[in-house]
Amino acid sequence: MEDIDESEYVAADHDLLVSAVSKLDKTQHITEPTRNESTNIGSEFNLLKRANRLNLSSVAKILGDTAHHVQISKKLKKTQDKSKVLSKPLEKPQAERIKRSTGYEATKKKVGRWDPVVARSRTVDYVSFPLKSASTKLEPTADFLTKLTLKSDLEKELEEVDPPPFVEEEVEEEPVFPMTYEEMVEHRKHIAKMRAQQSYKAAKAKRQSKIKSKKYHRVLKKEKLKQQLKEFEELQKTDPEEALKKLESLEKARALERHTLRHKNTGKWAKNKLIRAKYDKEVRQQLAEQLAVSRGLTQKVQDNESSDDDVDNEKIPDMTLSQDPMNPWMMQRPDKSNVNAEFNFGYKKFVQNKIGRKDDSDSDSNDENVEEGPSNEISVLKDSISKLTQIQDDSSDDATEVVEQEPITVKVGVKPSQKSDDKPQTQNKPVVTQKSLKRSKHSGGKAKKIKPIATSNWEVVEMEPFIDSEVNVSQDVTEAFEKHEDTIAQKVENKLKQIRHNIEMLEKAARSNKIETRKVKQKQASDNLEYLQLKKKNVKPIIDEELIETSSKTVQDDDKEDQSLPKILNAAQAPVQPTDSSTSNIDPNRFIQVKPKFLNTALSQGNYEYDQLDDDDEQVVPKVNIEEVFEEDDVVASFRQEKEDEINKDKPEEINLALPGWGSWGGKGIKPQRRKRNRFINKPAPAMPRRDENKGDIIIKEHKNPKLGVHKVKDVPFPFESVKDYEASIRAPLGNTFIPEKAHKKLIRPSVITKAGKIIEPMDEEELLLPKNKSFRNEAVIKLLGQKK
Amino acid sequence: MKHPKKKEHNKRYFDKNEKKPEDNGESKDNQVKVYNIKITPNLIKANKFKNKDTFNAIRPKKNKKFEGKAPIDPEKLEVHSRGEGVGKGVRHPLHAEKLRKRERKYNYAQEQAARAEILLTEGQGGLEVEEGGKTTAISQKIIAENVDITAASKIFELNLGFGPYQAKYSRNGRHLLLGSKKGHLAAFDWFTKKLHFEINVMESIHDISWLHTETMVAAAQKEWLYMYDNTGTEIHCIKKMDKILRMEFLPYHFLLAAVNEFGFMTWLDISVGEIVGHYNNRLGRTAVMAQNPYNATLCIGNSKGVVSLWSPTVKDPLAKILCHKTPVTALAVDNRGMYMATSGVDRSMKIWDIRHLDGPIQDYRLRSAPVDLEFSQKDMLAVGLDEVVEIYNNCCTKTTEKPYLRHRMAKAINNFKFCPYEDVLGIGTTNGFTSIIVPGSGEPNFDALESNPFQNKKQRKEAEVKALLDKIPAELITLNPLDITEVDVLSMQEQMEAKKKLLYLKPKKMDFTPRHKKKGKTNIARKKIIKEVARKDFVEKAKEAKKLLNLQEEQKAKKPSFGVLDRFVPTVKTKKQ
Repeated sequence: MEDIDESEYVAADHDLLVSAVSKLDKTQHITEPTRNESTNIGSEFNLLKRANRLNLSSVAKILGDTAHHVQISKKLKKTQDKSKVLSKPLEKPQAERIKRSTGYEATKKKVGRWDPVVARSRTVDYVSFPLKSASTKLEPTADFLTKLTLKSDLEKELEEVDPPPFVEEEVEEEPVFPMTYEEMVEHRKHIAKMRAQQSYKAAKAKRQSKIKSKKYHRVLKKEKLKQQLKEFEELQKTDPEEALKKLESLEKARALERHTLRHKNTGKWAKNKLIRAKYDKEVRQQLAEQLAVSRGLTQKVQDNESSDDDVDNEKIPDMTLSQDPMNPWMMQRPDKSNVNAEFNFGYKKFVQNKIGRKDDSDSDSNDENVEEGPSNEISVLKDSISKLTQIQDDSSDDATEVVEQEPITVKVGVKPSQKSDDKPQTQNKPVVTQKSLKRSKHSGGKAKKIKPIATSNWEVVEMEPFIDSEVNVSQDVTEAFEKHEDTIAQKVENKLKQIRHNIEMLEKAARSNKIETRKVKQKQASDNLEYLQLKKKNVKPIIDEELIETSSKTVQDDDKEDQSLPKILNAAQAPVQPTDSSTSNIDPNRFIQVKPKFLNTALSQGNYEYDQLDDDDEQVVPKVNIEEVFEEDDVVASFRQEKEDEINKDKPEEINLALPGWGSWGGKGIKPQRRKRNRFINKPAPAMPRRDENKGDIIIKEHKNPKLGVHKVKDVPFPFESVKDYEASIRAPLGNTFIPEKAHKKLIRPSVITKAGKIIEPMDEEELLLPKNKSFRNEAVIKLLGQKK
Repeated sequence: MKHPKKKEHNKRYFDKNEKKPEDNGESKDNQVKVYNIKITPNLIKANKFKNKDTFNAIRPKKNKKFEGKAPIDPEKLEVHSRGEGVGKGVRHPLHAEKLRKRERKYNYAQEQAARAEILLTEGQGGLEVEEGGKTTAISQKIIAENVDITAASKIFELNLGFGPYQAKYSRNGRHLLLGSKKGHLAAFDWFTKKLHFEINVMESIHDISWLHTETMVAAAQKEWLYMYDNTGTEIHCIKKMDKILRMEFLPYHFLLAAVNEFGFMTWLDISVGEIVGHYNNRLGRTAVMAQNPYNATLCIGNSKGVVSLWSPTVKDPLAKILCHKTPVTALAVDNRGMYMATSGVDRSMKIWDIRHLDGPIQDYRLRSAPVDLEFSQKDMLAVGLDEVVEIYNNCCTKTTEKPYLRHRMAKAINNFKFCPYEDVLGIGTTNGFTSIIVPGSGEPNFDALESNPFQNKKQRKEAEVKALLDKIPAELITLNPLDITEVDVLSMQEQMEAKKKLLYLKPKKMDFTPRHKKKGKTNIARKKIIKEVARKDFVEKAKEAKKLLNLQEEQKAKKPSFGVLDRFVPTVKTKKQ
């Protein structure tokens, strides 16, 4: 570094800085490439966007003052005035996008017609296939017979007056057989022969395809290529147009090759060679050849137009070439660049020739192209060299190289795709480096370090196509506005239509009812024609009538006044008797402790106390209460105790977490503060009220039955969000032992019924026309199912 | 044929329609106006394309002659209601629509069921007496004289000499099984009096039971439980069930439930021969047992007057009711599982609301302690008092004054059963069997798919298979048989809590309120409501009365006002003054 001229170094740095700063602003900078070495490589990355419009006025100005030219200039100006320059066609991606969006809209609309059909078939109880079935409905006998009656005299006369349109009967032609018998036999033979040949060929192809020999395949390939080339050249002579097409297809094949990395050093073969490359010179050479092929293939063929920009690039100093005797590229040169020779086969050669010829023809007009012709030969080499400079490490202390590096790095900044190109090159390194083996090893180790320099010190950020998006946005906005306008206009139109229609209706209403109904129906019929516009919206009647509000006051009964005074007074004095006037569903009698009712039951013969059975209505109350004799008081007491125990058993207990002496004095005779005590007592959640609470001498055990739990539902399935709803949905039985057979059948009917042995045809557009589909109005479902598209 | 002195009071469907034809006649009388129209070719042309419209205009919208289906009585509809349907809780439009459709089908099912009631043509019979007369005065002799021969043949008596007899009818009411203390076991078709078999097992028989069909019979003998087929062949001897006192067959679960001398309860699944429940109830020796047909629990009355409810899977009683302060003598649960009748040694008989576990609803005192109790299909209660059977009608909801029917015999009663689908009560006595007619006790309309008295062999086989397919697992025997229709909210909550603890998982929103809230179950609340309402009523009435009487309340002397400073006037002092 020290040997470099200071000023030059600074200049280089400065340029780097400038370029970096210029990158900071976000607009797309495609710097005009400064050609500092002669090259004819017109990279796609330094193409300029330039207004290609010819400014006629400037042309006319040149024509100038001569009287002769005035005419011409005038004419020119006129033409410019008249001719309206077409707007620039949209960029391809944008155009595509618009095309796609419109296509999407159209398809959406088209598919959207099916929404109600789909929605209906989803919601309906059951769908039976095939959808179309010949109606098996039998005509009523009377209807059938009416068709068989002969025409009456009146009808005959009417027919005379208004004859029915004559329907031409189509005469069925006899089928014409295309071939005679002999011909058919011949034909069949011919076909059989063809088939046999086909099979032979297929067998042969199969056999050949199974051959694994690489050599064979290589030879085959070469042969094919040669054949192709031959054919192509022939074709060129006979039919140039066809040849051009062929050329195009060849070009396509080359592009494909460019995409795939077939000739890179990533293949199995190359990897194997790579291992040996360290020690074997020949192998290195082979690899280099391979790479050269790949480079040749992946190189972009330069257009004539872009070539003129790259004129400067051609002036690449040959220093590097002479510099490295170890460089394999250099080594090839003396022994008749076999890489190039191999590369220059086939269509490539043709292309080059063609360009050369073209150059010859155009030599007068385009000087730059002349230079390109010869330069093309070494273009591959030069290109490789220029790229080699990228991977040279810092220690290769060549100031000029650093300078050269600059434009490349800038390029990298602009188009990140270059970066990917670089990567394989770094991998190439062990083979390609011009230094000694030792050195190459060293540099191989440093490859990673080098990489950032090759791709500049600045972060590489992909540029976004701002302009495009802006254009798009503006377009979207305008489109949206237009759409909105359209819809509004349509709405207004519709409204007007409706109003007109209303007026018409009003007018018609004045006329007789009969005519009116007819016309409306006609209109409906015409409406029916627009079958594609399925009316999805509910037609809501607009009621402008005022609501007639009646006074909701109910006439109060004056029963109270009817009630006699003393009665009420009595009621006031009488003890409170619960009346169930307001709570009719609660029977108060149930809660009054039942009084024992003494029944006049029959007595067995052994009992002579009440000999005579008198079935009087009055109650017979026995004098001795035998009940008391048998009664055991402790029965009740023990039962109540049992209940108490049962209640206490289930009660969760309080947990005292208080620590005596914590934060205060503890010990004998000291009572902990009540506040503290309460604070540390964990009170359990209040228990659910027991079922047998307030029920008297009844114990109901509250325990969960784990065996029943197995049978119970533990989860509420999807559409339900509350237990209540789910339970309601499973509340009714389906079995025919619980509900009538008809309802049972209805409930268990499968959702899809297919008739056995029938072909189920797909729906056709007639389905759209069916009234059941047309009248399907469940907006929510249609919307839901429509979303899924 | 079935019912003696049966008087039809039910309005039949054709009774109502008597006046209808007249209305129809009027409509027919309306003359049709005839117009004369001259047809010209032009008019025809004009109308040619409007044919369709004109046709529509002419065609009547509805046939007025047939107005569609007859309206359904809303009360009948309510009977078949399955409760409130799904509300608007489901927001997903498609599922909501589907649920709506399903709901419509449920409604249809309900409507159909209500409509199908028209097919229940048979009416309930009954006894009608002149004013002032008593139904108890009508003896079996009078009944036999007044009914047709076939019905009269249902009154019969069998004099058998092998001690006290137990009688049980098969589920369809066609067959009768008799078992005596002295080992006499007989099964026969009691309609035709055709004997299936008659054997003496040479052991004491404590209880008998039909199994799911009339071809199999279980007898609890001195030591073990035996099973016989309809020819009297012993087909099983179940030694695991020994010294059985009482047996009940649970037809829908295929369980034979039994309790033995030591208080061991056993449930035997007769379809697979497996014992599904076996434990001691720790009640001591009790021979008072009945099944609750509503939920298939067993009700056992003990010597302490407590009736307890048992299921095979839980070893504790599901519930206990202290019915009497004295030992329970008899116990019966009605067909719908609504009421339970118990009787004690204290000569009392109580009716309980067994479904809500509440009561007693009715408390009767009798002149002697009943030996047996039995509900009929139409909720008539037969009470056996030594030699007398008294049948009470409507004794559960209302307090009856007197028995509906009384039958006195010259022998002591052992047990009795109402015959299903017949107005017949079969009484097993000390020396034989007596069959009497109790008008209006049986269900007049039978469901042939459920139990068919006129079943033939093939139908029986079909029904057996079907019943086996519909067998309910024993675990489902709980107090509330509809438990199974409810979501297990507790374990669901637990599950959801566990799920909530998982990271990155959106917890499901769920409303846990069950469909049947246990609201207003406590009587206290209801009582309070009732009391409150009554009090308010009373107060209002009193007020109005006062107003009418113009009883002017003494106007309190107006206090001197101090304006803003009123708040400082001590209220307590003023009161004292």
